[in-house]
Amino acid sequence: MTFSYSFKSAFKSLCREKWINLLSILTVASSLLIITLTAFFLYNIEIIANSLPERFSIVAYLKDDLSSEETQAVIDTIKRRADIAGLKYISKEDAIKELQHTLKDTGYILEGLTENPLSSSIEIKLKKDFVTPSSAKHVAGEIKKTAGIDEVYYGEKIADAIHLLRRSMQNMSVIIFLTISSGVIFVTYSTVKILFYRRKQEIEIIKLLGATKGFLRMPFLIEGGSIGFFGGLIGIIGAMLFYLAVTYRLSMVIPMLKTLLFPFEILVVLPLIGIMFGIIGSLIAIGRLKL
Amino acid sequence: MIIFQNVSKYYDNQTVLKNITFTVQKGEITFITGPSGAGKSTLLKLMYLAESPDEGDIVIGDFHLASLKEAQIPYLRRSVGVVFQDFKLINSITVFDNVALSLRIRGVKEREIRDIVSNALKKVHIRHLSDSYPTSLSGGEQQRVVIARAIAAEPLVILADEPTGNLDPNTSIDIIRVLRELNAQGATILIATHNRELFRGTGNRVLKLDGGNIVGEEAG
Ligand SMILES: Nc1ncnc2c1ncn2[C@@H]1O[C@H](COP(=O)(O)OP(=O)(O)OP(=O)(O)O)[C@@H](O)[C@H]1O
Ligand SMILES: [Mg+2]
Repeated sequence: MTFSYSFKSAFKSLCREKWINLLSILTVASSLLIITLTAFFLYNIEIIANSLPERFSIVAYLKDDLSSEETQAVIDTIKRRADIAGLKYISKEDAIKELQHTLKDTGYILEGLTENPLSSSIEIKLKKDFVTPSSAKHVAGEIKKTAGIDEVYYGEKIADAIHLLRRSMQNMSVIIFLTISSGVIFVTYSTVKILFYRRKQEIEIIKLLGATKGFLRMPFLIEGGSIGFFGGLIGIIGAMLFYLAVTYRLSMVIPMLKTLLFPFEILVVLPLIGIMFGIIGSLIAIGRLKL
Repeated sequence: MIIFQNVSKYYDNQTVLKNITFTVQKGEITFITGPSGAGKSTLLKLMYLAESPDEGDIVIGDFHLASLKEAQIPYLRRSVGVVFQDFKLINSITVFDNVALSLRIRGVKEREIRDIVSNALKKVHIRHLSDSYPTSLSGGEQQRVVIARAIAAEPLVILADEPTGNLDPNTSIDIIRVLRELNAQGATILIATHNRELFRGTGNRVLKLDGGNIVGEEAG
């Protein structure tokens, strides 16, 4: 089979039906962009969620009137727990020093104080497996019951929110991915079908001249694949613009966005995903047209 | 080379060909004649499976059409060069590409195609029209493109359906001469025509078709 002919024929048809093709290329591009953005959000949420165990800690404030032996007893009790990875005792003196350090020039605020108003505390790191909203709550509750502990604080709301966000993003991205993929496949399917009907007469003639199925199909597969490929290329441009907008423009207003990471790997595969969807769409079209 | 064995063809309830039996030897040139609607085109269409016979068997070279697998149809069609009565040219590509198509289908290399096409066009005297589009040609010119396409790949069998239907007497004689040359080189040729001038006095075999039956055979 002469591939050069198939390619020529496919690209001629791409040019001849430029509006249909352009429209479906843009549709594919937008769809792939949506997939990319979904991947972008998912990626960042994963990163945040994965860094939670390192950042996440429970802070237990000790009662004010404990002796150093009693304090040590509390620390030992907590240390024996199976679900903690480590802890750090912060005496009220350390705490005030830390505060003074944080306040720096504005440290005069503390000058009027005759007594240290802060409490001693224990910062507790949980083992990775226990950093889920429910077990964190459980652990915090138990620690609070320990004798000598006054108050327990942990980022309940944040942990909850991030876990919920992560779970729903995972579910949603599966749905988005499936929907968009079917959409892209359907677009190339329809386009190839239209292109086929436009060339029906020509195809009948080529068949009578003795063309094999492969010969007839190849240009349509190439066309479908090209629509996906160009859709992917335009999708890359869209994703880059989005990335620049987020990192350079939006992050001036919302500095937190600066820490977002962009999965550049997905940009490379975008045209490949496009080609794959395009070819799947054309294959379905070709199959249904019994070509 | 060509065997028809009790072949019948019906369209709806109309009998178009009834119990046709004949044999064409390899290298023979045979005419099929008869009035309009006699079934000449249908008879040819059965041979490249544009239509399939309802009864009987047809053999074209090594192909037994009754038991031919679908995947084999392209190869049957490649062994047969057809001059279609209704031309079947592709109007969106040039004369050159129309003729080249029959070679590209066969996987002939691009660098060989140029010479082969140009030769075929020369044989039917339209090499100067190589870059024209079919719609800008006269009926006779288009017909010659169809002939060039049918002969370019030098098929073993050439089926010509009214190959001179749009041609003036002089050009007709010329085209028949081209077909005879190919015949001399070994091609088996079947020509359907109601133009008796094409075979008168040639001594070639003529099958007379009427109402779907072979009603006689003569030497032209
Ligand atoms: N696709 C079809 N459907 C129904 N009837 C058909 C079809 N094709 C041909 N026929 C009928 O079959 C008969 C034979 O047609 P055919 O084209 O074989 O005749 P022909 O001998 O080639 O005529 P002409 O000399 O005009 O080309 C005609 O009566 C025609 O109406
Ligand atoms: Mg006819």
